Amino acid sequence: MNREEILEAQEKSLAHLRSVYREDAETVIADARYGFISGLIKETLKKPAVERRTISDSIDKVLVNRGLGLFIFLAILFGVFQLTFTVSEPLMGWIDDGFGWLADEAATISPEWLGSFIGDGVFGGVGSVLMFVPPIFLLFLALAFLEDCGYLARAAFVMDRLMHRIGLHGRSFIPLVLGFGCNVPAIMATRTIENPKDRLTTILIIPFMSCGARLPIYILFAGAFFTAYRGLVVFSMYAIGVILAVIMALVLRKTLLKGPSGHFVMELPPYRLPTLTGIIMHTWERGREFLLRAGTIIFAVVVFVWLLDYTGALEPIGKAIAPIFSPLGFGQWQAAVALIFGVLAKEVVVGTFGTLFAGAEGLGDLGDVVGAELAWTPLIAFAFMAFCLIYVPCVAAIAIMRRETNSWRWPAFTAGYTIFLGWIVAMLIYQIGRLFTG
Amino acid sequence: MSMAKEITIALAGNPNSGKTTVFNNLTGARQHVGNWPGVTVEKKEGTCRYQGYTIKVVDLPGVYSLTAYSLDEVIARNFVVEERPDAVVDVVDASNLERNLYLAVQLLEVGAPLIIALNMMDQAESRGYQIDVSQLSYLLGVPVVPMEANRSSGIQELLQEIVKMADGEVQTRGFRLDYGREVEEEIAKMQELISRDEELSRKYSLRWLAIKLLEADEEVVKRLGMKQG
Repeated sequence: MNREEILEAQEKSLAHLRSVYREDAETVIADARYGFISGLIKETLKKPAVERRTISDSIDKVLVNRGLGLFIFLAILFGVFQLTFTVSEPLMGWIDDGFGWLADEAATISPEWLGSFIGDGVFGGVGSVLMFVPPIFLLFLALAFLEDCGYLARAAFVMDRLMHRIGLHGRSFIPLVLGFGCNVPAIMATRTIENPKDRLTTILIIPFMSCGARLPIYILFAGAFFTAYRGLVVFSMYAIGVILAVIMALVLRKTLLKGPSGHFVMELPPYRLPTLTGIIMHTWERGREFLLRAGTIIFAVVVFVWLLDYTGALEPIGKAIAPIFSPLGFGQWQAAVALIFGVLAKEVVVGTFGTLFAGAEGLGDLGDVVGAELAWTPLIAFAFMAFCLIYVPCVAAIAIMRRETNSWRWPAFTAGYTIFLGWIVAMLIYQIGRLFTG
Repeated sequence: MSMAKEITIALAGNPNSGKTTVFNNLTGARQHVGNWPGVTVEKKEGTCRYQGYTIKVVDLPGVYSLTAYSLDEVIARNFVVEERPDAVVDVVDASNLERNLYLAVQLLEVGAPLIIALNMMDQAESRGYQIDVSQLSYLLGVPVVPMEANRSSGIQELLQEIVKMADGEVQTRGFRLDYGREVEEEIAKMQELISRDEELSRKYSLRWLAIKLLEADEEVVKRLGMKQG
């Protein structure tokens, strides 16, 4: 009874204060706090008479500039990807050679099944995923640097106006960029978004941000099928993801998640030279996830795939599902199997191919081997990459979506429509592309 | 072997105040990441040994305020209000003093055993700011420790204040911000009603709860309604 009394009294007090101040008590209270603080500041802080224009302000003149800012952001993003790939290329080569050698050595182990297990299953499958440790860590490193030095907040500021056009605002932008690293922490990062509908929309479009786990798929096939243009092809995957995210945000804002988006002042924290430990820690926090997954879920799945393959059970499963993908160009049972297991974690797509084809020619140039064995054209490879980009967020992303939205509704919805959307997009790419390539 | 005393402190602060650097400085590699109960927000904890004390450091989400508008704010606030850590360290960016103090003021209103870690003193100085640290400490009634966490300077002093605070050696003056006659009258009314509720007056600072009710804080209103059963 007392609690009800309290709430009743609260209503009365609020009404009274509103009539006195013509404003909500909340505003009056906040004003009083600001007033107190500004008094406190007067008594404790002496600023120079003419405040020097800080370096931060001068840099912002350029980076947050209306026209130039967007261009600079795109250039930085492109630079990050270029750097990631060129620096990691030789490192990946060494790791690849290392695992190739290990796989060859293991193949001689007897009995034959053990050699096959260690060679094809363990080194072939897991090795093909671990090869991508350098680009993924470099990408995380670059993102950590951009975040820690204060640039990402500027990029969000620059994007704010554009984001409003798709019914979101700048605050949704940082989670989306973080999604390029991994969707899971990106979805968690949306909790700084105050408006619930803004937050939900952002969560639902994050899966279109090509995460680090999808990168191995792109690199593998772009490298094998588009040698000279591989950088451009990988970049186009990111672009397709972003375009779909924009479209989906527009659609969601006009249908399921109607309502005004929140307004607020974008923060521009001062630039800071990030500390080395800070960056290394942030990179490690995120990169560790990838290594852990390679050691646990990916290892388990790859072993499972090897077992099914070795016992001959894999082919019928793949063949039952493969026809669904025929209109998309990749209706081979191996591709179907890779996609099914890829739901668990997208690196598994590569790991599965690694296991399936390791026996053929060792690990070297897995992409070429897949292309030759399945008779893929560059067009099919492109459609396959696009499908991998769009279809179903991985299990970890779905689980985090459930926990952050507190229901199965949204993750189930996302899983469903992304499969459908992925199929449509890949089908259009393949069918329309065929008209031109014959 | 003397008995190791255990204390728990919370690390609060605005985003970009250097909170993470302070946390890393305090705990080094002894960190682990979990989740806040009931939600999937990452909870970072670490430990630190100092003068025979084992200090558990809980890293609160970086927030500007303690309203109920975002999950981060609710988490930060609930920890301070409900878990009652032995000390709350608010990492304040000295080069952005005015904005950062908004959180400090709200932490004081909660009745938290507050220590202000006045971080990034070098940046403030390079802009030509002069901060009267002892005056700030006097006016707020809490210890203020100037720091440059990125150079690990001020950490020892901070640890000293933490231990003093946990031992009850710091005389914190009850903080009270005057909201003006009309608001104060309503606060008094609310406070009087709340004080009759045994559970509420045991758990919360009466004045804080009264202010939150006047701010029409959704989370607080929800909790009041919920307990009614």
